[in-house]
Parts: sequence; C-alpha cells; structure tokens
Amino acid sequence: MKKLLRTLLTLSSITLLHHQAYALETDFLPDVKAGIVSIHIQEPERDVGYTVGDVLTREITVTIKKPYVLVEESLPIVGYERRYKGQLIGIDLSKLDYSKESAKDATTHHISLSYQVFTNNVVAKPAALPGEYLRLLDTSSKDKKVYRYRIPSWNFSISPISVFGQVKIEQDMSGYRGPLLLDASPLQTRLTVLLAVLAIALLTLLYMLGKYTWLPRMGGPFAKAYRSIRKAPHTAEGIQGAASHLHEALNSSAGYSLFSNNLNAFLAKKPAFQHIQAELAQFFELSRQVFFEPNADKPAGEQQLAWLARFCKQCRDCERGLIPDSLSTTRNSATRKAA
Amino acid sequence: MSDRLLADWRQHALTLESEVNKVVVGQSNPIRLITTAIFARGHVLLEGDVGVGKTTLLRAFTRGIGGGYQRIEGTIDLMPNDLVYHTYLGEDGKPHVSAGPLLMSGENLSVFFFNEINRARPQVHSLLLRVMAERTLSAFNKEHAFPHMIVFADRNQVEKEETFEIPSAARDRFMMEIPIVVPNDDAIMQGLMFDTKFHNVDALVDTLKADVLQFDQLNSFSGTIQNSVEASPTLQKYALNLWKATRQPLDYGVKVSNVDMNRLVLAGASPRGMSMMLRAARVNAWLNERTAVTPEDIHAVFHETVAHRLVFSPVYEMRRTEIAREMLTSIINAVAAP
Repeated sequence: MKKLLRTLLTLSSITLLHHQAYALETDFLPDVKAGIVSIHIQEPERDVGYTVGDVLTREITVTIKKPYVLVEESLPIVGYERRYKGQLIGIDLSKLDYSKESAKDATTHHISLSYQVFTNNVVAKPAALPGEYLRLLDTSSKDKKVYRYRIPSWNFSISPISVFGQVKIEQDMSGYRGPLLLDASPLQTRLTVLLAVLAIALLTLLYMLGKYTWLPRMGGPFAKAYRSIRKAPHTAEGIQGAASHLHEALNSSAGYSLFSNNLNAFLAKKPAFQHIQAELAQFFELSRQVFFEPNADKPAGEQQLAWLARFCKQCRDCERGLIPDSLSTTRNSATRKAA
Repeated sequence: MSDRLLADWRQHALTLESEVNKVVVGQSNPIRLITTAIFARGHVLLEGDVGVGKTTLLRAFTRGIGGGYQRIEGTIDLMPNDLVYHTYLGEDGKPHVSAGPLLMSGENLSVFFFNEINRARPQVHSLLLRVMAERTLSAFNKEHAFPHMIVFADRNQVEKEETFEIPSAARDRFMMEIPIVVPNDDAIMQGLMFDTKFHNVDALVDTLKADVLQFDQLNSFSGTIQNSVEASPTLQKYALNLWKATRQPLDYGVKVSNVDMNRLVLAGASPRGMSMMLRAARVNAWLNERTAVTPEDIHAVFHETVAHRLVFSPVYEMRRTEIAREMLTSIINAVAAP
C-alpha cells in the first residue's frame, strides 16, 4: 500500500514538474522576428453549433525561412490535456498529421490539428481551440539560439445538447444532436425490391411446377387433369383414362363438348391454345383410335402416356397464358410408336 | 374382298358427288347429305324456297343413279288415287286406266319426287306413309313393290296458304330433312345469273355422266356398309345420350333462347329416327374412309336426321326450324364423348 502511494506521489510530482518546465520553456523564449515565418490557417467551416464529441480540424501551413528550422519536438502532443488558469478546458488534441516540404530558402510545414470537444454546458458558451507555440532554431547563430512562434487560437461556441430546463431529452430531439447516422433508405429500398423479385420468382416457379392448387388459376381443369394423368398406369386402360381426363379438361375449358370439328371455334375463343394446334389435332386422332375404333391397334405403353402427360402440361401452360414448349420431337416418336 | 368393294363403291359415290356438284353449284353440303341418304336407303325431305335448284338436284342424282324417275306436284285437290292411276277416254271411246306415277316405272322406280308435299291432303300423306315405310302398294288387287325407290319431297316452310302440315308420323318416315338455301358466294350467284348453261335444265342435266351407280345394287351394298362400319361402346353410349337429350333436354342442361324448356318438347327423337341417324352416320364414316363411326360422323347428319322428328308444343311450332337448330346445336355442345 505504501509502495503504491509512493508511486502515485512520484508520478504526480513528475507531471507537475513537466508542466512547469513547458511553461517556463515557452514563456522565456524570445519571439521570432517578423518576416521569418508566414502562416496560413484553414479553420473549420462554422464557429457555432458544436457540442460534446464533435471534432474540429485546423489545417495549418507554416513557411519558415532559412536558416531557421522548426524543432519538430515542439509540435503539440496528441492527448495532452490543455488547461487555462489551472482548469481543464475540455478540448483535447485527438489527431495530428504532419508533413514538410523543403525549398531552397524556406521549409513549408503542413500541420493538421484535430481537436475533440469534451465539455458541455447548459447554455451556449464561448470556447477556443488553443494557441500552440512552435520553437524555431536559428542554425546560423553560434549558440544555436531558440525562438518561439505562436499559432493563434481560434474562437468558437459550444452549444448544449438540449434546451436548458428540459428534463425529458426525448421531447427535445434535434437533428443536430447525437451521432449522425448513415442514410440507409436507398439500401433498404433496394433490399425490399430484391426481396419482392425473389418472392415473385419463387411463386412463378411454384406456379409453373403447378403441383398444388393454392395459388390463383392453379386449380384449372388441365392442372387437375395433369395430376390425374401422372398417376395413371402404363396400360391401355391407363391411356384411355388419361385421354378421358383430357377430354373433360378440354370440354371444361371450352365451355362445351369439344370435338375435332369444332376445334377452330375453340382456338378462336382461346387463342392461347393456337401454339399447340398440331398437338390438339394429334390428340383427337389418338382419342379416335382409343375410343371409337374397336379394331384399331390400341396405343399402349409408357411413351404414349408420357406424351399425353406432356400434352396436358402444354394445355395447362396455355391455360395460364404461358407459351408451352414444343412437343415436336416427342410427337414424332409417339406417332412412330402408335404406327 | 369387302374392303375392295367398299373402296370401289366409295369411288363411284365420290364420282357421283363430283358430277352433281358440276351441275348444281354451291350446294356441296346438301349433295353430300343426299349421297349419304342414297347409300343409307333413306327418304329425303328437301326444304327451301322456290327456284333454288331442288328439282335440278334430284334430276341430276336420278341420272347418276339410273332407274326410273317419277314426279308429282302436290295440290290441294290431289287425291291418293292420282298417284296410282288415272282414267281417260281412249280413241275408241271407251274408258281406259293407265298407271300413275308410282306404278309407271314398276320395280325400277328409283326416285319418286313429290313436289310441294305440304300442299297435298292428309289422305295423300297417308298413302305415302305406307309407300315410304314398306315400299309396297296394293292396287288392282295386286301388291306392287318398289324395292329401289327413294322418295324425295320438298316443302316451302314460308308459305302457309292452302297447305297442310305434314303429320309427325309422316315426317318420321323421312330419313333427312335437308335445307336448300341460296349460295352465299357472290361468284356462284353471279354464275347462276349469267352463265347460260344454267338456262336450260334439260341440257344441263344431260351433261352429267349417266348411271354412275347401279340403282338395283344399292340395297345390297347398303347392307354391306352397315355391317362393315363399326360403332364402339363409347360411341353407342354417346349416341344414347344424344337421344336422351332430345327427349329430356333439361337433364343435360340444354337451353334455347326465349324458350321455356319445360314446355318445349312434346316428343323427342323416335327409335326409328335414331336408327336412321346411325345408318346415315355409318355411311358418312364410309365416305370419309373410316371403318368406325365417330362423333363427328354423327354431327355431320345430326341436324338433318333429327330436327324434323322433334315434336314441339304448338306455341313453338311457328319457329320450329330456328328452335330445332339451336336446340340440337346445344345438345351437341352439352353431351360429351367420351
């Protein structure tokens, strides 16, 4: 415990001495002669409206004629607590960027000083970015004489974060208070649009696959027939049943009994089916063989049933206003098989 | 052998059609239907306005079929015996009896044309009823047979003055009632006006190839067609449903605009009528080179074989042509096959 107290006492003494030394060092140095140093300062854009947490940056350009040179150790120290009349002023240097350019007869120093405000008040109060002393060394003198040059302070006002007297901060919210948030609305809009597109794409996929009837127009006659045909056995009876389901679907879709001799009226009424005009004619040919020609070779087998299923799917696509895939290749093979 | 026979006769039938189509233009559908009736051995009632070519059409067919052709005009004072004989005083001053139109050609009578049948009295209809059904006639203490005869009759549906409605029993004897209308095609209409070949009907009919068919073989060949062309169980069921729909149209959801369907039909198609419809459908299948009847074959003859058999409530009789057509179209649309 004693050891700890001793350490704390030693550190406090060193800090105090350091402050003393700094003050002495600059206070007793002579000012550099006029004309040796030229300065240009880019101050913050406004001098009001700052509050706790804000960062103010000064861009300082100092040109020092030779033989004078800047003692770089005299540049301000980041994090150093600044005091005025013994009181912390609550404005600390949070960042320093330094670079220099040497010319024949002078050196230009670019110093960027960023101060962060750590103080506040219930009313607006004046404050200042502190003046800084730079030390210059005259390299031509025998005893290497040191001079000082003061970067001037800059006055501004610190604003309170709320109106004085307000107890509930929520009632005095201000756009200038608190951290500024990035505007996420374009990203949110984009995300919403993309999610909508994804949802529509998924629904369209389900619609096209069409196994279920919970979407609009999915319970059409051909969708129902397609589900029945997919379950039909690969026999002559299965083909007969499948053709029967298709006839029912065609009749239901047309609103009357459809035959090969009133197909044109149906196509005029439902132009979407014109894409499969040839397939419709082929279907009625197949139906004639299946139902009305007792001595005809009854088409049987997996291939014919698959053709009927694909034809039904085409009809279902037409029913939904989609353009169906062509069945020309399968049609040819099915016809060969039937022959 | 049967297939070859069917093909040969089909070729003859199509030749006959083509020949008649040269003489009577713009009537391809009635010509097909009359060809069908000839091979189905059914009598035909032609319905149409005056001067549309009904007589020319029949004369053309008669020339193609061969056999005897007789004709009589229906008038209000026509009596049944006018069809059988007529009497006159001969040069010798004595009364003579000679055969009337029905008996004049004997057994070779192939086409008997009764013009304006609805102007004849019911007594005449009654005689015709027997002749059409049995193709026989008792006269002069003798039974006369006309095995190859087909009766063609025509009536004008518009004119009602001094006419007698043909009873439903007589209508039912006809296999078909075929409407003959003026062609719609402007070129054909123009041709009918300006083409001089249509001015002289006798010369026009003479240009037609004679005896394309053998009238005395039609009966036996008709049997061959009926036995060769099949009707599947699905087709039979479909035809049965059509028949039932003519009797109970409401059961099949059949509707006709501005008509109370509960009151419309007093009697639907008769068994004879449906049998005739199937005969005609079989012939249509054969003409289209099919070995079995399809619903499309029935549709091709449905209106013409059924419409005139339907018996409507008297209140609807004035509009029977229009109502029958709409009702039968509605039946075809309502009854599914399979």
